[in-house]
Amino acid sequence: MEDQTTADLRDRLSLIEAMIAEGRRTTEKWGWTFVLWGLAFYVAIAWTDWGHSAWAWPVTMAAAVVVTVILVSIRAGREAVTTLGRAVGSVWLALGISMFVLFLALGIAGRLADPRLFIAVASGMLGMANATSALILRWKVQLGCAVIWWAAAAAACFGTQSQAAIIFLTAILVCQIAFGIYGMIREGRARLRRGAAHA
Amino acid sequence: MPDLPELNPVIHAKLRLAVLSLLTGVEEAEFTWLRGKTGSTDGNLGAQLARLEEAGYVRVKKKFVKRKPKTCYRMTDAGRQALAEYVQALKQLLGAAFET
Repeated sequence: MEDQTTADLRDRLSLIEAMIAEGRRTTEKWGWTFVLWGLAFYVAIAWTDWGHSAWAWPVTMAAAVVVTVILVSIRAGREAVTTLGRAVGSVWLALGISMFVLFLALGIAGRLADPRLFIAVASGMLGMANATSALILRWKVQLGCAVIWWAAAAAACFGTQSQAAIIFLTAILVCQIAFGIYGMIREGRARLRRGAAHA
Repeated sequence: MPDLPELNPVIHAKLRLAVLSLLTGVEEAEFTWLRGKTGSTDGNLGAQLARLEEAGYVRVKKKFVKRKPKTCYRMTDAGRQALAEYVQALKQLLGAAFET
């Protein structure tokens, strides 16, 4: 009888530990946004290069914002809100608003004539957001992406226009598309592990 | 020998204990998320959450997202305090069990 009570108490302590860990494991699934925005950058660059349209960036970015908002609102409510998730989300939201305001103003003012300026500033800002997110999440892979973006920002200041473009396209491929796919695979594996643990 | 503490009966029920423990790790959680994590039924979970709300351990917020009702729960300071005391009592009881 005594043993049964002790086992019951231990059982409750284990339950508390397991549930706290389960709550903390709640991570929002954001891998897809990196892929989406990486592809949006590619579409905008290709459209600008081949179509020579001033609307390429505003239209593509607006479309990416709409798709992101729709997908985020569909997912809203399925997960719990964590302080960590809100902190990381805030970094990316602030980055999006900063880039939108800055590049829109520079574009309207006609001061974006040198694409290297755009690449350097955009890469620097992406480096900052990735580094902030990586430091919050203690995620070395994302910190690696931040370093790549910073290197791209510095290189764009010194190289020719075509060199800067190649560096920017490579950084997008690695830090947006490849990193996003890696994030999605990681999230999928975590989901499978949790599914197995619950079974 | 010191007096052994009593376990808080509101928290002691397994499902209520699971819910409170889950809520310690998040700011707020939706009903369906709690149901998924605990593997309980709507009726049972609703009843246990009502009991926790009645005790002042969780706060409920109802809102509409795209015309669909969403019920979100967050732990109160009283709930956090009660859970901490419960864990402390549990450890004391377990310690006493090992000593005897």
